[in-house]
Amino acid sequence: MNNQLTKKKIDSATILSAVIVVCLYVAVFIAEQLIAPTSMLFTVLKKGATYALVAVSMNLCNGFTGIFSLGQAGFMLLGAYTYGILTLPVAERVNVYQYYGGGLVQFTLPWFVAMLLGGLVAALFAFLIGLPVLRLKSDYLAIATLGFAEIIRAIFQWDKLGPITNGSNMLRLFPNFNDFNIRGADGQVTVYLSTLVPLLIAGACIGIIVMLINSTFGRALKAIRDDEIAAEAMGIRLASHKRLAFCISSFFAGIGGAMLAMYQSTVQAKGFTTAMTYEILLIVVIGGIGSVTGSCISSFLFVAASEWWLRFLDQKQMIGGFEVPLLRNGFRLVVFSIIIMIVVLFFRQGIMGTRELPDLFRGRRKAKGGAKS
Amino acid sequence: MSAEIKRPANGNAECVLHIDHLTMRFGGVVAVDDLTMDINRGEIVALIGPNGAGKTTAFNAVTGVYTPTSGWVSLNGQDITGKRPDEITKLGIARTFQNIRLFSSMTVFDNVLTARHLRRTSNFLTATFRLNLAEEKKMRQETEQLLREVGLFELRNEKATSLPYGKQRLLEIARALSTQPKLLLLDEPAAGMNPQETEELGEFIKQIKEKFDLTVFLIEHHMNLVMGISDRIYVIDFGKQIAMGTPAEVQENPAVIAAYLGVDEDEAAEAPADARPEARDGNEEVSPE
Repeated sequence: MNNQLTKKKIDSATILSAVIVVCLYVAVFIAEQLIAPTSMLFTVLKKGATYALVAVSMNLCNGFTGIFSLGQAGFMLLGAYTYGILTLPVAERVNVYQYYGGGLVQFTLPWFVAMLLGGLVAALFAFLIGLPVLRLKSDYLAIATLGFAEIIRAIFQWDKLGPITNGSNMLRLFPNFNDFNIRGADGQVTVYLSTLVPLLIAGACIGIIVMLINSTFGRALKAIRDDEIAAEAMGIRLASHKRLAFCISSFFAGIGGAMLAMYQSTVQAKGFTTAMTYEILLIVVIGGIGSVTGSCISSFLFVAASEWWLRFLDQKQMIGGFEVPLLRNGFRLVVFSIIIMIVVLFFRQGIMGTRELPDLFRGRRKAKGGAKS
Repeated sequence: MSAEIKRPANGNAECVLHIDHLTMRFGGVVAVDDLTMDINRGEIVALIGPNGAGKTTAFNAVTGVYTPTSGWVSLNGQDITGKRPDEITKLGIARTFQNIRLFSSMTVFDNVLTARHLRRTSNFLTATFRLNLAEEKKMRQETEQLLREVGLFELRNEKATSLPYGKQRLLEIARALSTQPKLLLLDEPAAGMNPQETEELGEFIKQIKEKFDLTVFLIEHHMNLVMGISDRIYVIDFGKQIAMGTPAEVQENPAVIAAYLGVDEDEAAEAPADARPEARDGNEEVSPE
């Protein structure tokens, strides 16, 4: 009885959840060895893992701390560019930076170092813009961070920065997810890891975020979300805790950006649009604001729906000699918007509300308490 | 007085909170006007006054929510004027709110546990990577013990906002106690309570005062509660102090009766019958002061 509270309890529901996650990883590993690597399944899993990480990082800010930030695409861009610039093999730089004489940076770092640096650069920028921006509240903060993301995008396309960023030309030829595959002496792939490794990276990062959320700092962040005035009166320093959440969120958005660069094999500033931030925001809302599990599930569903399941809507479809009307390029997005509207209108809690995976196994009474409008 | 000179309290070593010529002005409205108060160790001091008298504003100025327009506040001889609310809480002033402000998404246990955050020694890295297990365990143990002492232990896994009103008030006090204060500020702790609950609350405040070695400063409208537990009472009206003294002294003070008459039924009932006409006469003398 006494131990139940003082020791953070590891109950059967948590263990069951862990087992499920491990099983999913094993299933992905097996599937990867058996199914052709060109299958849509792997595209979805890779992009889904990337989006899941960014969505969870956004949820840390928007869902757990109550900072309505829309700068995610900007921080992803910073992470992606840092990764791309630092991992490009020196021999290839002449080709990639063809208009800038091979560029300024003439060294190459291992992928994980570059990825980590990508996160740190994003966190550094978050710290700097956080100084003025975090004084703002709700909508104003959203507008300011959105503006930041747009400015970053413009700056990275600036010709004068070309020797570093390659201007508006794309960065390419840096290591991507396919380089995680283990190849034999003949160059043939012996073990496929190009999907498992991104999932592991995302999983590890999300794990760290969950650990933060469940620590004393996570409780302080939730307190700020619930009631700033009460939180401050309980001795929680608002400025430093908000900054902490903002920087950590951006750090992982930066890592997510590096993963996106690996997924795409190219980086171009013009890809990191506001629309990307809205996609992430949508994933967070659909999954449930304040639920890490929800963000993960909905990012895979979102990516699967937009990249795979709804693709058929973009092509002419014949059913028994009858051409289905309306189906043409772009119609997928219309249907997608309708689905989103339905979700937002009828499932405002999102898929998970504020519940997490273990809560699903803990019976109804607790789960009911977790939901909040 | 000039802002540079920060005198320590009033020279009285027993003085926990000293408010010196505190004025709080919002545009043209003077919410608190030249208020000077002393609260000594172990006392229960009440601040009363009609609605809109500036009681909560005074609380907010003490706890750092507002920076005083002029005047200063010191805690145990240390100047706390203009400090942030979280700094002041860290120095030992905890408070509750007039309209309950619990952390609505959290359980009772987590509400109280979260208030321990300010006494941490861990940083976000050691906390995230669980290098602070001993501290976390201690926090949980202390929270558990505190919940037992205030009688909320059985409700620890309930969501804070699902508790009945009286229990929510109790939880706010428990959460404030969790910050390990020296001085506890209670802003209308009995608001919305029935007479029996109010009586229990009075006993409870006396109990925790002894148990946690506290000094209590409260705002309250329930006169039975105020008169029952306070050592001293300050009365303010229109931001100005109009009386100070023991409950008996204050009850007989004509200025107080004037300020309250016809406003608060409890007070009217308690005031001696022959004092009433006197008070009406006194009304004009008091107000322009």
